[in-house]
Amino acid sequence: MTVPGDDAPLLVVEDLRKTFVDREFETPVLKGVNFALERGEMVAMLGPSGSGKSTLLTILGTLLAPSAGSLRMLDQELTRLAEEQLADFRNRYIGFIFQYHHLLPDFTALENVAFPHAGRLGRETRVGRERAAMLLERVGLADRMHYRATRLSGGQKQRVAVARALMNEPALVLADEPTGNLDRDSANQVFELMQEIQRETRTTFLISTHDEELASRCERRIRLRNGVVVRDDSTAGARRQPPPALQPSAPGGSEARS
Amino acid sequence: MQYAIKVALRYLTSNRLQSALLIGGVAIAVTVFTFNAALINGLAEFQIQRVVGSTAHVILEPERRLPAVADARDNAVRAVVSQRALERREQIKDWRAIETILDSLPGVTGISYNVIGTALATRGQQTVPVTLKGVEPQRLSAIAPIDTTIVDGLPRVGLNDILIGKRLADDLGIGVGQPLFVQSDQGRERVLTVRGLYVTGVESLDSRLAYVNLDTARVLFDYPDGLTEIEVKLADIYAAPVMAQQLADSTGLTVVAWTERNQRLKDALQGQRSSGDIIKFFTLITIVIGVASALLLTTYRRRPEIGIMRSFGVSQRFVLAVFMLQGALIGTLGSIAGCLLGYGFSAFIAGMPRGADGSAPLPVDPALGEYQVALLLSIAASVLAAILPARAASRVDPVEAIAQ
Repeated sequence: MTVPGDDAPLLVVEDLRKTFVDREFETPVLKGVNFALERGEMVAMLGPSGSGKSTLLTILGTLLAPSAGSLRMLDQELTRLAEEQLADFRNRYIGFIFQYHHLLPDFTALENVAFPHAGRLGRETRVGRERAAMLLERVGLADRMHYRATRLSGGQKQRVAVARALMNEPALVLADEPTGNLDRDSANQVFELMQEIQRETRTTFLISTHDEELASRCERRIRLRNGVVVRDDSTAGARRQPPPALQPSAPGGSEARS
Repeated sequence: MQYAIKVALRYLTSNRLQSALLIGGVAIAVTVFTFNAALINGLAEFQIQRVVGSTAHVILEPERRLPAVADARDNAVRAVVSQRALERREQIKDWRAIETILDSLPGVTGISYNVIGTALATRGQQTVPVTLKGVEPQRLSAIAPIDTTIVDGLPRVGLNDILIGKRLADDLGIGVGQPLFVQSDQGRERVLTVRGLYVTGVESLDSRLAYVNLDTARVLFDYPDGLTEIEVKLADIYAAPVMAQQLADSTGLTVVAWTERNQRLKDALQGQRSSGDIIKFFTLITIVIGVASALLLTTYRRRPEIGIMRSFGVSQRFVLAVFMLQGALIGTLGSIAGCLLGYGFSAFIAGMPRGADGSAPLPVDPALGEYQVALLLSIAASVLAAILPARAASRVDPVEAIAQ
């Protein structure tokens, strides 16, 4: 993922607020969140249930509009964009991984991975299929490409979901408890996979989790409580080197952007 | 679009039973639509053919002299300055010229030059009023197929012959070869020989009409050279009104098309058509309701998937297209199947063993099933039905749907 102005932070959140209004009841969930994500970071977001993690992720993913505050990503103020523009932005720059895999059950693993690409272009392309196949190979599912999503195990489905999140070479991957539904071994596998890919591609990962052990393996941890950031600590010697050449290489990556 | 079609197809094939039921539902509605059209149109055609099969399509009559009324000033009584000639009967005099016009007209399949009048037919004590139609012998069957409907005797009108309907013969108690005494309204009398009996199936022809030689009629009704009417038959019966207008313009005669003479038939056909249209309308409503409810269920069931698609940035328009296309595909497949079924069913009914009189149990004409209209309307109905579910799908809130 090459983006102009590589020194600037990928994403800057300033005084972000979200209050849910249900008739007369106002429920403030985010009460002024501030932080920035650098390019190529792997960040864990921790916090008890109800601390606002999921709400923050959906706002960062442009699926939900904040009540107030600023959300800048790739030098664009996202709070000002209209829904169709946001959909396009999401499609190009953001990848999602959810706790529950949310694969499309009627499609094969390959089709699921290629969907974000084909859905934007309105047609399937050879380039898209090749990239999807490469990603599935990368997540260790080369032999499951043509299996329907429903025929895969829980861990396999989540690996397909990881590959799908990476399909359009996003700048940011948002993962909401990506291992929450998996057993220990599968959880480890999926986490390590994300870690490897993050290192290879220098894609920024923001992972919300309850799992302190997994969080400790991230470079940085943001702790949320009662809708504000209460702690933001980086592991000593966090990597800050500029991103290396992109790995895995993206065939026709520029075509995908056209 | 290409990809939206693929997704829509995948959705339809993933739930085969539901899709099959939906397509089957549309197909049955379209079957009803097309069979109904084939029946209503076939019935109309049957009725028209029965009426026009043995009558003229266009009749040329002498110019009608309408009473002329002089405009009177102020409150003065209006004066009739001329009225229909009482002493001189109207007739077509210069019919030789008209013959040339008619012979040159395309689409004319039969012409008959007639002298018609009323007479009393007497046999013993029985006297029955009849219409005598004087025709040229070689044109006897130009209008009504008399030659093929003769049940006894021969289709021949010599100078002393008369052909009568079987019903009239029964009324008079007369048979072939027997003499019949006729007295015209001009007071001329003649004894003619019954040469043949016919059954056309048309009541007025079979019981009150008799065919004689044109020259015999001239004598009986005192028309030495004129005609009372010229009957014309056309290849295309629906061209009759236009043809009538053309002939009226070019001959100056009063020309009447069959459509004007059969107002009752026209009304009956209109009534049938309206009731047919109501049935068609309800079949379309059935399609809309069926497709809409099924697709709404699908939309609801697929909310999480729609949410996830939206989360990875697939546009609302794409989601809309996927669901609209499902409606269109169901409509297309269902209505094609329905047209085939409707044609098959109509053909089956039309091919059923005929009754003793040669008529089908139902006058269904498989060719008149209005298949193009059925296809177009039912696909349109299906697409229309998909609008609501598709809009609902495109407006799914991804956050809510994913949280489900």
